[in-house]
Amino acid sequence: MTKTETEINEFTRFIAEYATCLLGSGVHTSRVLRNSSRIASSMGLTISMTTFQKSIILTVSDEAETHLLTRVIEIPGLPISFEFNSELSSLSWEAVDKHLSLEELRQRFDTIKAKPKMKSWLVVLLVGLANASFCRLFGGDFGAMLVVFISTMIGFFLRLQLQHRGINHFIVFTVSAFVASLCASSALLFDATAETAIATSVLYLIPGVPLINGVIDILEGHTLTGGSRLIQAFLLISCSAIGLSCSLFIFQNILP
Amino acid sequence: MVVNILVDGLLAAVAGIGFGAISHPPRRAFLYIAILAAIGHGLRFYLMETMHLDIATASFFASLAIGAFSMWFGRLSFCPITVLYIPALLPMVPGMYAYKSVLALIKFMHHQKEAVAAANYMQEMFSNVVVTVSTVFLLALGATLFIFFFPKRAYSMTRRAVDRP
Repeated sequence: MTKTETEINEFTRFIAEYATCLLGSGVHTSRVLRNSSRIASSMGLTISMTTFQKSIILTVSDEAETHLLTRVIEIPGLPISFEFNSELSSLSWEAVDKHLSLEELRQRFDTIKAKPKMKSWLVVLLVGLANASFCRLFGGDFGAMLVVFISTMIGFFLRLQLQHRGINHFIVFTVSAFVASLCASSALLFDATAETAIATSVLYLIPGVPLINGVIDILEGHTLTGGSRLIQAFLLISCSAIGLSCSLFIFQNILP
Repeated sequence: MVVNILVDGLLAAVAGIGFGAISHPPRRAFLYIAILAAIGHGLRFYLMETMHLDIATASFFASLAIGAFSMWFGRLSFCPITVLYIPALLPMVPGMYAYKSVLALIKFMHHQKEAVAAANYMQEMFSNVVVTVSTVFLLALGATLFIFFFPKRAYSMTRRAVDRP
């Protein structure tokens, strides 16, 4: 099957947006590659892709290789979204199973991207509850749970606000860890398990997604992307630790 | 004992839902994330309390269980298994050990000149770091192993059954 140059051009534009959207929202490399080539093959095209942390190199060709198109595309820094991960993977199967045309694909892609996200106040509340129950799992008492609940909500709200303003990730993590643990240190004033409260208050900052994606990527042979994900995760964890240690430094003499 | 395990699982479920919400999962995934988190943490609690396993080994078995169940739940919810198991693993992160490492580091800096105290803090920091790192590594590995055992199945979760030709 041969395709015209414009067709390949348009398809490349779509798949570039699709693949970078997946990579930007925290999907591990091999899934992005598989999803993209699945869509390509449903169109009778082949693609080859090289991924890095900040950009991808994408080559699209028809099966006869009469037309080739190569582009370098930047990966946007999107917030992590499991919704995109699931729905866009589903879309790639639909493309195969229902033989969708490019217009239909584009339309569904835009619908998925436009889906409303969970309200931020609800996320803040859920994260607060999560950290409070986490505190309980570590043996904190009810006073500590309450302190953790409030300080996590403050810290997470601050994180969302700072991220919204486009401030550097490392600064965001350090500041939110500091503020959350500082608030949690107020447990020292009450008769509560303060140590557990302070320890749990920063745990909402663990970058679980890049950590596990990094491990998956490395084990699947995408060592470079996996390595950079792990380095990123490690730096973010260090930043939270620095924020936490600022609070501990202030209170080190009263802490057990 | 049974009550303790159930309470433990319930708390982990709440934690899993909250940590999941940060990463914006599809709404239908929440139920499965909660169940997986409860299974994993409950199992680890059981292993550590009755069989006296250490936290790293117990976490490994718990994350194996999470991985196994996520293979099934992924089919039910049409979600990639990473979407289900990453939030479910987070309540098992050994936060207290991580905290103690940081605290010991700060105390080490403060007492650097006192040889005995410094050595104690250094040792405390090191052992806490080792426990934290190995537990997190085994958590990530255990759940991920299933992708390598059953790659075909793990990578076709999002294909809707009704649409199959």
